[in-house]
Amino acid sequence: MAHWRPVYAVLEREVVRMFRQRTRLVSAMVRPLIWLFVIGAGFGAVLQQAGGVSYQQFLVPGVLGMTMLFGAMLAALTMVYDKESGVMRMLIMAPFPHYWIVVAKMLAAALAALLQALLLLILLAALGYLDTQMRFGLLVVALLATSAACAGIGMLVAAFTRTLDNFAAIMNFVIFPVFFLSGSLYPVIRLPMALKAVALANPYTYGVDLLKHAVLGVLPSGLGADFAASTDLAVLAGFTTAALLVASWRFSRESAYEPMIRILTGKRDG
Amino acid sequence: MNPAPVSPLAVKASGLVKRYGDVLAVDGLDLEIPAGQFFGLLGPNGSGKTSTIHMLATLIRPTSGSASVHGHDVLRESVQTRASIGLVFQESALDRTLSIAENLRFAGLLYNLPAKVIEERAAGLLELFGLADKRNRPVGSLSGGMRRALDIVRGVIHHPKILFLDEPTIGLDLPNRRKIWRFIENLRAQTGMTVLLTTHYLEEADTCDHVAFIKSGKLVQSGSPAEMIASLGRYIVEIESQDIETLARRLAPILGPCLREGNVAYFRYAADDVTRLASLQSEAGIQVRALRWRQPNLNDVFLWVAEGKL
Repeated sequence: MAHWRPVYAVLEREVVRMFRQRTRLVSAMVRPLIWLFVIGAGFGAVLQQAGGVSYQQFLVPGVLGMTMLFGAMLAALTMVYDKESGVMRMLIMAPFPHYWIVVAKMLAAALAALLQALLLLILLAALGYLDTQMRFGLLVVALLATSAACAGIGMLVAAFTRTLDNFAAIMNFVIFPVFFLSGSLYPVIRLPMALKAVALANPYTYGVDLLKHAVLGVLPSGLGADFAASTDLAVLAGFTTAALLVASWRFSRESAYEPMIRILTGKRDG
Repeated sequence: MNPAPVSPLAVKASGLVKRYGDVLAVDGLDLEIPAGQFFGLLGPNGSGKTSTIHMLATLIRPTSGSASVHGHDVLRESVQTRASIGLVFQESALDRTLSIAENLRFAGLLYNLPAKVIEERAAGLLELFGLADKRNRPVGSLSGGMRRALDIVRGVIHHPKILFLDEPTIGLDLPNRRKIWRFIENLRAQTGMTVLLTTHYLEEADTCDHVAFIKSGKLVQSGSPAEMIASLGRYIVEIESQDIETLARRLAPILGPCLREGNVAYFRYAADDVTRLASLQSEAGIQVRALRWRQPNLNDVFLWVAEGKL
């Protein structure tokens, strides 16, 4: 049975909402630029240029990744918000298997991440931060794979979260660690052992690494990418598949959506 | 030999049970609703109405028992079941950030309807529900009554065979409740849709073809509203007194058990002849402040059922 129209509906709603919520979109653009200009310039002054690359240039893949991570997480977490509004109810009463909601929402989150990354790319190009030696084909692959993996992280969190009350907690214990413990701000290879182990276990690390392959081109070792592009791609694909399966499994269990049905009913009426 | 013609059943449930931990929300419920009927499921809070509707809508799984909606088993064919029902719950299932038209488009696409079909149906339904001139308004800006009307439009955009209305008018003022009922009547007249209603406003269930009262997850009474009211008796006798205890005790041999509410006792009175009632004051032997009798209604049925005295 084809469920492409419902998937399209969820994607369309995501895009409409993204462009309608101007502040969400503006902050999605401003956040990475602040990192690039403020943190990049600040640390750039302290750190030596190495191999002809300034720290700001080194940060470009990291802030691209950041946009996708935040974009996908916020979009996936609207799933949790939807649990509280009526939209999730529309989805669970619609005639398709409940895991299909996860498929649609994950695609929507990846799409949101991708669109925001493209907007940021345009801004970065206009500001002169994009290297002309960029590998465009690889960049497209990196953007697709990273946005899908970020959507996967978001769906896992959404599937195991009951209410948006814990949004601050998700920010502190998921989004920030995932961002800081990746190669976004510093080469993974130079991290202390314990942190390096965490970074290696972080799927997002490989997304940023793939972006480095695409954006930074060939650099002296220790400054460019840490892993082979094929390794990055394999990890991202594996993680995305696993995340989709776990989130779908979780969501097809009644215990995942029954409490929210009862919340939406307004009262605990038998 | 030909089998006897059987009218198709919209809902058939047998031995339906839902248990939440120690709480038995639905306790072996049997239900049969013929196609096209306007059926009211009534009962006090916590009686299991909503759990029953949720099980029939495949949103929660029965602990045991079976149910089917228009021939689709709710457990084995949950997707087909959901395709054949429309649901309107106590809390609205709408996206407040989108407009009326966008909400209906979203809902229609979820039911795999082509965009063109959605637009045609939305135009007709919005006309029927008095929302035609507001189609581009964001849902967040609509009044409670308009939002509820839209919720019903949303619930029938895919032309379901049966519509579940769980407390459709809760939280609305009287003019809006009346309006919603007029919409539902028009919709039934146009489509012949089966409607399964739960409500606390019993006067709204008066127009049902059939009502069933449930209590503690069990069916306690069922029939047409007129039958149920008739089963209560000819009159309800209301007697007001300072000493309601004594009054109830002294009149019990004559009138049977009563319901009490503050200083008023309600008795059921089966006979047509009310002359007997005039002598009640002397038989009670205590000061009676007021004595009146009136026709019973569904509210009385509800109260007597809720008190477990019927």
